[in-house]
Amino acid sequence: MTPTVRIAGVGKRYGARRVLEDISLDIAPGKRLGLIGPAASGKSVLCKLVTGLETPDAGTIEVLGESIVGKREAQLGALRRRIGMLFQNYALFDFLTVEQNVAFPLEQRGGMTADEIATRVAARLRAVGLAGSEHKLTGELSGGMKKRVGIARATVADAELVIYDEPSAGLDPVTTQKIYDLLSADQVRTGATVLAVSSDVAALASFVDEIAFLYRGHLIYRGPAAGITDAPDPLVRQFVRGELEGPLDREGVATREGEDR
Amino acid sequence: MIGNVGAGAIRVAQEVGGIVVLTGQVLRALVPPRIDGRELLKNLHKMGNRSVPIVVLTAFFAGALMMLQAGPFVKKFGATSLAGWGAGYAVLREIGPILIALMFSGRVGANNTAELSTMTVTEQLDGLRALAIDPIRFLVVPRVIAMVVMLVVLTVIGDLVALLGASIVGRTMLEIDWSTMYYSFADNLKPYDFLHGVYKSIAFGVAIAMSSCYFGVTVRGGAVGVGRAVNAAVVAAAVSIMLLDFFLTYLTG
Repeated sequence: MTPTVRIAGVGKRYGARRVLEDISLDIAPGKRLGLIGPAASGKSVLCKLVTGLETPDAGTIEVLGESIVGKREAQLGALRRRIGMLFQNYALFDFLTVEQNVAFPLEQRGGMTADEIATRVAARLRAVGLAGSEHKLTGELSGGMKKRVGIARATVADAELVIYDEPSAGLDPVTTQKIYDLLSADQVRTGATVLAVSSDVAALASFVDEIAFLYRGHLIYRGPAAGITDAPDPLVRQFVRGELEGPLDREGVATREGEDR
Repeated sequence: MIGNVGAGAIRVAQEVGGIVVLTGQVLRALVPPRIDGRELLKNLHKMGNRSVPIVVLTAFFAGALMMLQAGPFVKKFGATSLAGWGAGYAVLREIGPILIALMFSGRVGANNTAELSTMTVTEQLDGLRALAIDPIRFLVVPRVIAMVVMLVVLTVIGDLVALLGASIVGRTMLEIDWSTMYYSFADNLKPYDFLHGVYKSIAFGVAIAMSSCYFGVTVRGGAVGVGRAVNAAVVAAAVSIMLLDFFLTYLTG
């Protein structure tokens, strides 16, 4: 079966700074992969590469059976309509209300009446606990509420591939669990493939099938989410357990022998 | 020293090149003309209607000042029948379009850059792209059209208000009859004097729109970057207005 996402030998630089190097990764259809790693390890960049928002300097990326490297913006349009994405910093449109933000993907995609869109948006806002906030502008919302609007917008169109960049950042533990339960139920209902980035490893592990660890632009580990706290790699183990002693120092920079600080 | 000059020249060339590329993208997005009507109307209102008071104020005093400067001389030489022509000629061809464009750049262009650059640094443009929406077509094109159209409209309004300002000062401070002022305008000013200013306002509108949008969508570096982008957009627009004015006057004057 063709993977929903197939990344092979991908590298990305910004000027002289190497962000990702030789990343190879597959996600099978209907599977949920979690991506973890220290800050600035390239997780968000990898998410943007998968949607074609960034272009790799090396390697190939296939998403939903289509190669996206080297394609122009206009050629990526049809593919992007099949992908939902939650941005780390929400990326909500501040010129639209909460309701309009969530309705936006459906309106742009077309094929639904205004009533159908309104019904679907209302249901989605209820699901993320934002009923009653429909007419607020996004500038009036707290960080957690913005995150939930972003989740509603990413999931409202039942995309085939959904990318969540920090879905639980800024949320309290109870809301976090509710959101992950919602994402899980959505994924079961739609059968979508999921790529999720999160710093909340425990919550992420309860949601995804597998976890991959990005470190200094390299993918150094991939394994089942269930046993992640006992992962064989000491870097991953220390990161997941949040231990101060180990090959990672407090800033998440490795001090493993032979590595540059 | 030479290195700094060279680096500055390269930077300016890069910015000019970027503005030209963006202009090309805007023109390409106009074929076929699929413009978001809601965005266009919103921008026409925001950029045009809300600029009317400041333009009226500026234009009124621009016309009044022209008359105030020219008045004593035309009275001294007994050439009151030329007072309206003097003020009108300067206002319609030069002062009106330039002053209104500079006001428009400061008010609308700077605001546009701040808005677009904030949207850029908060990933809203990436958000649009992720939803398969071209930010150039959705955000930039309506703004460019709104700015060009509204600057022309505001220039026409400003021209009329400036002539009114000149007439009022002529009558109240220099005791020139209303009819003398009217015939001075009507007999001496040609339609081309008015059109010359309108042509310029189109060029100025394009310059303001493209520079403000360019610096908005290419911003880097968060809040500090937004400030830098607004500054760069206003300076670029002001320099473009002066250069365009010189060459348009030289070529078509």
